[in-house]
Amino acid sequence: MPRIIVSYVRIVEAVNYRVGRMAMYLIFVLMAILMWSSISKTFFSPALWTLETAQFVMVAYYLLGGPYSMQLNSHVRMDLVYGSWSIKTKAWVDAFTIFGLIFYLVILLQGAIGSTAYSLGQPYNMGIYEFYGNLITAFFTGGPSAASEVLGHMERSATSFRPYLWPIKSIATLGIFLMLLQAIAVFFKDIATIRGEEL
Amino acid sequence: MSFEWIAVLMFASMMITLMSGQRVFAAIGIVAVVAALLLWGTGGEDIPFAASMKLMKWYPLLTLPLFIYMGFVLSESGIADDLYRMFHVWMGGINGGLAIGTIGLMVLISAMNGLSVAGMAIGATIALPELLKRGYDKRMISGVVQAGSSLGILVPPSVVLVLYAMIARAPVGQLWLAGVFPGLMMAAMFVAYIWIRCKINPSLGPSLSKEELASVTTAEKVKLLRAGLLPVFIFASMMVPFVNGWTSLVESSALGAIVASLAAIFKGRYTKHVFETTMRETLKISAMFMWIILAALAFGAVFDGVGAVKAIEAFFLDDLGLGPWEVLLLMQLSFLIMGTFLDDTAMLVIVAPLYVPLVGSLGFDLIWYGVLYTITSQIAYMTPPFGYNLFLMRAMAPPEITLKDIYVSIIPFVGVMLLALALITIFPNIALWLPHYVYGP
Repeated sequence: MPRIIVSYVRIVEAVNYRVGRMAMYLIFVLMAILMWSSISKTFFSPALWTLETAQFVMVAYYLLGGPYSMQLNSHVRMDLVYGSWSIKTKAWVDAFTIFGLIFYLVILLQGAIGSTAYSLGQPYNMGIYEFYGNLITAFFTGGPSAASEVLGHMERSATSFRPYLWPIKSIATLGIFLMLLQAIAVFFKDIATIRGEEL
Repeated sequence: MSFEWIAVLMFASMMITLMSGQRVFAAIGIVAVVAALLLWGTGGEDIPFAASMKLMKWYPLLTLPLFIYMGFVLSESGIADDLYRMFHVWMGGINGGLAIGTIGLMVLISAMNGLSVAGMAIGATIALPELLKRGYDKRMISGVVQAGSSLGILVPPSVVLVLYAMIARAPVGQLWLAGVFPGLMMAAMFVAYIWIRCKINPSLGPSLSKEELASVTTAEKVKLLRAGLLPVFIFASMMVPFVNGWTSLVESSALGAIVASLAAIFKGRYTKHVFETTMRETLKISAMFMWIILAALAFGAVFDGVGAVKAIEAFFLDDLGLGPWEVLLLMQLSFLIMGTFLDDTAMLVIVAPLYVPLVGSLGFDLIWYGVLYTITSQIAYMTPPFGYNLFLMRAMAPPEITLKDIYVSIIPFVGVMLLALALITIFPNIALWLPHYVYGP
């Protein structure tokens, strides 16, 4: 395999491994938040922030952990027919069907980018990428204060806690992006298997 | 093109993508995005992500990683080993007693976690080798472990019922309580089956020898009973605050996860290796589930958008001219048949959103149907060619149990489960009495 592909796969897998290993420990954060929620409810006044924060942590847990779980090959398949094929045949079929996955993730990512722009207050008459462009230009020319000028009405959750939604949407976007990179890496690995190489 | 045909086409293309052997979430997701783009055009590309974010509003979903974590702590740390020993000593004296004890073990493990994986792991790695050594019939005991562990999704806490609750928009508390008696009834029926078979043919499950029984003192026997306190304690730590309204459902699951970890730590079993395996496996299984749900949400958003449920309802009621009960029976039948081909996550994702609203609009109790649904999933878990339990069993069971043994062993137990399903269909109160008693009708 060309060197650039080999290093792509190595880098993506290394990044996703580390991100996934970090996300793995979020389950304790989840437990801590929910514990605090029941303690505060019993002994003090109920905490408003716990419910949604826990949900945000859960979303981060599996979206950031998704690529790592794909590395570990834990996503189930229907193996009625698939299971009886040779490793090479499996790689051949996967090398085609993985484009379904890649396409799904691309659309998902596009939706995520758009939704994050909305949560940052993208004006309705401005395109998504124009908005991000303005945001980045303003940040580099005028610093954080200029960048905050570009931001519009920021989306908040419709609860009494009213958290901003852009942090979790950004994390979701990142998770989906990493999943896409991992899916492409898996495609290269399938190609390597077909050629009888190890990646 | 009419909406019915769009629905059929989407369903059919998903079957094809699933059959290709690509990861299940990819197979569902690709059909969802292509359908969204074709049917909606502009704006269609936003549907999959917007649908995915609905996940955050599904509060009970938080229990999923926590129950999975709990299950792995219990099975990996081996804190349930003493439990097996307890049943071994107390039940070993009668023919088939160890197999009956294994069912008891499975009920207790089911009460401590929400999936069947933990029971499966404990049954296949601890109970099976021991039973084989004692000369039990391998086809019977392989069925015992598989049928017994499937109780994990019926006896509360149950992850499948949580997912069902989200689809049916029914309260999880009532669903869990509704699972109690059907679960116990089914366990009792398994026990009865084993007892009768061993009564007729004692060689299927020889009792422990007199010397071995005598070697265990009464004091030791009583001491072993303490092992039974652990599941009671873990179960109570989750259910008592929950039923009393001190904690919400998800808070209870966090409490259960913490109590299980503490129990493992106090027993000195929460080693580095156990910790690593538990954490990694929890992430693997949770991420797998969640990505499937994510894709299914996108699929569901498009599917609902074309009014597929209405189309199916019209097909059953108007075109076939059936009454509600006939429709229900037909649905259960198709459910069972599909269950042998699809695994439980696929069933949950594809079939449940289609059938559950229909059951509701026919005027049936959705709590009661939740129990029927879960038992059907249990059967689907076990029946070839697709069955999560079958694959797990093959991976975990001792090598002398062949795949053929595993396949053959489930037949009588599936029969017992079908009988239980029929009983609960005819007498809904088996399921509904307890939730009505606790929450009022």
